[in-house]
Amino acid sequence: MVFLSFLRIIKFSFQDIYRNIWLSIVTITILILALFSINLLLAVRVISDTAIGAVKDKIDVSLYLKPDSTEEEIMALKSQVSNLTQVKEVSYISKAQALEFFQEKNKDNPEILQALRELGKNPLTPSLVITPKASEVAGELIEELNKIKSDLIESRNFSDHKLMLDKINGITGKVNEIGMIISLIFILITLLVVYNAVRVEIYTHREEIGIMRLVGASNSFIHMPFFLSSLIYTLIGTAVVILIFYPFLSLLQPYLETFFTGYDINVISYFNSNFIKIFGLEFLAVALINALASWMAVRKYSKV
Amino acid sequence: MIKLLNISKIYQPDVHALRDVNLHIKPGEFISIVGQSGTGKTTMVKILTGEERATNGRVLVGGWDITNIGQREVPWLRRQIGVIYQDFKLLPKKNLRENVSFALEVCGNTPTKISSIVPQVMKIVGLEDKQGRYPREVSGGEQQRAAIARALVHRPKILLADEPTGNLDSINANEIIELLLRINRFGTTVVLVTHNREVVNRLKRRVITLDSGMIVGDQEVGKYIL
Repeated sequence: MVFLSFLRIIKFSFQDIYRNIWLSIVTITILILALFSINLLLAVRVISDTAIGAVKDKIDVSLYLKPDSTEEEIMALKSQVSNLTQVKEVSYISKAQALEFFQEKNKDNPEILQALRELGKNPLTPSLVITPKASEVAGELIEELNKIKSDLIESRNFSDHKLMLDKINGITGKVNEIGMIISLIFILITLLVVYNAVRVEIYTHREEIGIMRLVGASNSFIHMPFFLSSLIYTLIGTAVVILIFYPFLSLLQPYLETFFTGYDINVISYFNSNFIKIFGLEFLAVALINALASWMAVRKYSKV
Repeated sequence: MIKLLNISKIYQPDVHALRDVNLHIKPGEFISIVGQSGTGKTTMVKILTGEERATNGRVLVGGWDITNIGQREVPWLRRQIGVIYQDFKLLPKKNLRENVSFALEVCGNTPTKISSIVPQVMKIVGLEDKQGRYPREVSGGEQQRAAIARALVHRPKILLADEPTGNLDSINANEIIELLLRINRFGTTVVLVTHNREVVNRLKRRVITLDSGMIVGDQEVGKYIL
């Protein structure tokens, strides 16, 4: 008997979707729009995180050394700096390399290159370029670098760096905070839209629900077809969003690669590697909201 | 079959729909409950179908005390009482056969049983040729016949008819009353709630007259006296 009831619930659910096809299409369309918006927001977050990461990757601190320092002394200092907990990487730029970079950087500025030639010698000093583990620990790193007592160090004036780092950290923090608030508001609005779409869908069935109750249908027999319909809507909605969203990302990807030249940004691979997490969670959340909305609406109209 | 013992129904804040009503309906009776609008006729039907609870008194249907019936028990009560309404209350997205079958499907009857009972009942009400039509595609009289068929599929001992001819012309109304009399002849207790004077006077059956929520008349072979 339970199996028979289950089969009938499935039959009524599909019959209801089919016989109210326009209403079903409208409900599914609202779900698709809502899910598409959420995924779009997620893609924007991935892009903004990459942009923030790109800015933070640019952060490094240079320790300028005396020109007459020997390689051994510099390597010893490099090793000492590398051992600091805040350090991710230390690169040694020799005098020759510094000159090479300088010339490359100013290749379009003949006056500077001419002045360099007139000088007759390499005026640049060797340096250690230190990359912090994270932009947040860059301040600590500067403090640690200031504590190092070494005659090799020619210049360690990092005050400008610190100010800039604080600004970068402040801006990225704010961007994250605002992004989070906008995301939460957007998710809330989307969930409300989905909730109301289901309630409106069931509102149109209010007389039927009352009639079902009057002819002796049990609560579960009334609730289950609507619950199942909402699950089917969610499943179709999620599947269609997946089918639409990937081509959309494929169109977007070349523009992103051009914009973020030199950085590894791939929204498609992000969605691929988090496929189950993203779409599974979206399916579950929307299904839950749908189930809740349908349960509450049916409960309201079955009080006869 | 049906016993109402000192039944009162008060709607908040202070509307007395029924006042101390005592009524005993015997098995196999055909009884008309008459009265003008707002005298408590529909409230009585709602109490008998578990849609409303009496404020005071006791209600017994077929020996079952339904005075404080729980929400979960209501479907079982409704499977034992057939009810038809003025507005037919058919499911618009189901055809007539599906509307009738639905009442059996919700009780978990097997497809074999359903396909054996439904055509028989459709034949009794004269709709065997219109089973595949949707409610919007048939006349009011035919919709009411389908509603009667739906009420009969459970083979109920009681059939409540709440203003069944209210939306019908006189020809269709007479046909429905004839159908109810036929059903009564099979042994089903029929409770007809109406304010149709002609119908009641022609029936020459027991008539209960309600006025301001009270029973003011109970005649074995009665007439519409208000």
